Amino acid sequence: MAHDWQPDFEQLVDDHQSMVFSIALRMTGDRGLAEEIAQDVFLELDKHLAKIESPDHACFWLRRVTMSRSADALRRRRVRSTDLWVEFEEHHGAPLEIRDSPLGARLEALLATLPEAQRAALVLRYQEDLTPEEIAATLAEPVATVKSHLQRGLKLLRAKATPHLQEYIRNKKEYIRGV
Amino acid sequence: MDEFEQELRQAFVRRPAPPSLKRKLMARRAEKRQTRHRHTHIQLWQRLAASLVLVALLGGAAQWVRRDREERRQGEAARQQVLTALRITGHALNQMNTQLAAHDRTEQR
Repeated sequence: MAHDWQPDFEQLVDDHQSMVFSIALRMTGDRGLAEEIAQDVFLELDKHLAKIESPDHACFWLRRVTMSRSADALRRRRVRSTDLWVEFEEHHGAPLEIRDSPLGARLEALLATLPEAQRAALVLRYQEDLTPEEIAATLAEPVATVKSHLQRGLKLLRAKATPHLQEYIRNKKEYIRGV
Repeated sequence: MDEFEQELRQAFVRRPAPPSLKRKLMARRAEKRQTRHRHTHIQLWQRLAASLVLVALLGGAAQWVRRDREERRQGEAARQQVLTALRITGHALNQMNTQLAAHDRTEQR
């Protein structure tokens, strides 16, 4: 079917490079690998550009292919997530202190320790702000499975983050008392 | 959405892509396009060469078939000529034989 929208490759790269890179980075925990995945994804987009029908389709396509490429990369590497996180911290550059909140940084670190399917669902839910239905379409999984991954992932992450949350609340209270 | 989920949303904000990503990507894209272009060129020449070989083969085969048919036709014509000559010779010999027999009968009388 013919479509009026003419995709501009460079514009698509400008618009979506941050999204693609962030998904790949959170899925693999490796900055170098994430950059490689992002390049591969955009090169594949270039190959299939004629089939892209709209900006929304481009966004959906990019998310889907990034997820699948990240899963392939993880399958190839089979490196323990904790090791990946050490590498991530070493390579990513921005020190924890200058990030928005220390709890946020810790949550991101804990994300890397979750199973791949739960991590994928959480990244799409909280980074991309997708609904479970949209996540299901992106990952080509049933909605019930996605909801289950979201619930379990969230529960696991909450359990792992509880000590840090308590410390965070304690620090916040002390800070308020000090002011 | 509870506070924990809000924290997650804040923590999982998109990270800016490295500045080198687009540069490297565009370089790889240009290289790929060049390679694809070169391959297309090579494929074009290969197809042309294959087409020429095919045309030559088909031409040769057609020529061979035509020559074979011509030779068969000429052979058949020659055979017909030989048969005709044999028939004429046979006829002439028969006539000669008849005349000789008539001549012998006249002499005996």
